[in-house]
Amino acid sequence: MLEIKNLNKVYPNGYHALHNINFSVPQGEFLVVIGLSGSGKSTMLRCINRLHDPSSGEILFNGVDTTKLKGSALRKIRSEIGMIFQHFNLIPRSTVIANVLSGNLSRTGIFKSIFGIYSAEEKERAMKYIDIVGLRGKEKNRADNLSGGQQQRVAIARALMQNPKILLADEPVASLDPATSHSVMQYLKKVNEELGVTVICNLHFLSLVRQYAHRVVALKAGKLIYDGKPLEINEEWFKTIYGEDAVEVTIN
Amino acid sequence: MQKKISKVKNKNVQMVKAFILDTLAWAYIALVSYKVLYDKIYIENRYPEFAWKQPLYALYFGLAAAALLFFTNFSLGRGSLGLIKLRDDEKATTKPFAFIGYLLIILTFVTGFYVSQVSLKEFFSSQGLEGAKRIFTALFHPNWSIFEQGLFAAIETIYMAFIATAIAIPIAFILGFIAARNLMTGNPVGFFIYTALRTVLNVSRSIEPLVWAIIFSVWVGIGPFSGMLALCLHSIASLTKQYSEQIESVDDGPIEAMTATGAHPVQVVWFGVVPQIVLPYLSYTIYRWDINVRMATVIGLVGGGGIGNLLMQYQGQARWNEVGLLVILIAVIVWTMDWASSVIREALK
Repeated sequence: MLEIKNLNKVYPNGYHALHNINFSVPQGEFLVVIGLSGSGKSTMLRCINRLHDPSSGEILFNGVDTTKLKGSALRKIRSEIGMIFQHFNLIPRSTVIANVLSGNLSRTGIFKSIFGIYSAEEKERAMKYIDIVGLRGKEKNRADNLSGGQQQRVAIARALMQNPKILLADEPVASLDPATSHSVMQYLKKVNEELGVTVICNLHFLSLVRQYAHRVVALKAGKLIYDGKPLEINEEWFKTIYGEDAVEVTIN
Repeated sequence: MQKKISKVKNKNVQMVKAFILDTLAWAYIALVSYKVLYDKIYIENRYPEFAWKQPLYALYFGLAAAALLFFTNFSLGRGSLGLIKLRDDEKATTKPFAFIGYLLIILTFVTGFYVSQVSLKEFFSSQGLEGAKRIFTALFHPNWSIFEQGLFAAIETIYMAFIATAIAIPIAFILGFIAARNLMTGNPVGFFIYTALRTVLNVSRSIEPLVWAIIFSVWVGIGPFSGMLALCLHSIASLTKQYSEQIESVDDGPIEAMTATGAHPVQVVWFGVVPQIVLPYLSYTIYRWDINVRMATVIGLVGGGGIGNLLMQYQGQARWNEVGLLVILIAVIVWTMDWASSVIREALK
């Protein structure tokens, strides 16, 4: 459903972040992207929903090249791609339900959303997703008063509110403790298996990768150097991806 | 390679700056020494003549001195820009160029005293003390019979300040987005609008409300309206600057998240930017009202209406008992506003 062809990204300052990336993601896959910080993982994810504009290449999303889209067509594609972030990026000072409802902005009119007029159907759906991420009873709480793991679950519910075909997760557990990391990964797994949403997730910990990924791609200095099964990443591959001096740290 | 060239270029620019600084410093020393130390103090010339050739000669002297001493340790410019290499055990404050700096400060002090005609003789003269006693006695015996008149004028002042702030808020709210660097400088058109607006705001802010009040009192006539216009204009300029700085410092995260949901740019601003700026905005706005009340009393002095106007009238007639009452009223208002605004702003945190 997602096909990336010869993707290149050069930043205005001349930094070449991505070199000729090629891969495709079938419907329903849980794909994990690994690599060192600065290897281009975040840039690649942001090219998919055009938070960054690729310099050249094609990104085919259900057959549509997203790299050329503008205005409302671009917003339409973005609404079908959910995204969660390392720092959650929730709306500050707002309740859980207001945050989840904001996932539906592309389908709510501008004035309706500004005055906070949401239909019963929208509220019902928001409650359903709050339920799915296990936050029932907290919908009226202010989101920024929740714990890190709970905030990330609000972010997942917000992404689900978009009814996404694909979910991008940019290091979703990098600012969480190990126990909470597993809980958030479990919810992503649930979204992938029960709702059939394709997931592309950037991760740092190989132990999480082995546990949750169907398939792994690895980036190094903006080049795709590995594409395969998570369990096939042996000592040798590990050293290639992370450098000679790297030691694997596990998270349980 | 490119970096190296730019570094060399940078060094040259620094050297030029240092030389200009040296020239100006020496010229200043020469001019002030001549005009104050020689002309005023030494020959006690009460009305020294001014001629354009004097600063010109000073500049020549500055150029010559700078050229002569540029590569010695007496170069203030090179010293202050860090172009004079110091050993680890040396302090910049004891080097010769630092003493040139001290000389500048001392000369400026001496000049300042002469220009503002500081004279302790007059301060402690018997006639002067007599006058001070008279006015202080009157001020401490306020005339309470004009209390009602003063109170109404004070209310006028507070409402004038309130309306000036209230009108400024929506205008500054919109201009704040246009004057925010991070939202506007993405394309050339935006950058042009941003620069133009910033320039207009800076100019109007740098003109004191007092001056605006004088302008408007000629335009719309003496009274509260001209004072209100002056305060309003100044508030718009100040609030827009504070608002836009707040927008410039917002966290990009929520903006990114809202963009990623496919929201319209208006929605992105409303949900990604506005929640982050509401509280600081309120805080700035209340503080601005507080400032406006204080300014409104002063603006009354030049015909902007309210309690300041009344103060001016009684002061003109030398009725110090009445002035005393008005001063008390103003002090109470300012103190109350100050206290209220700090309590509200504290509660908003």
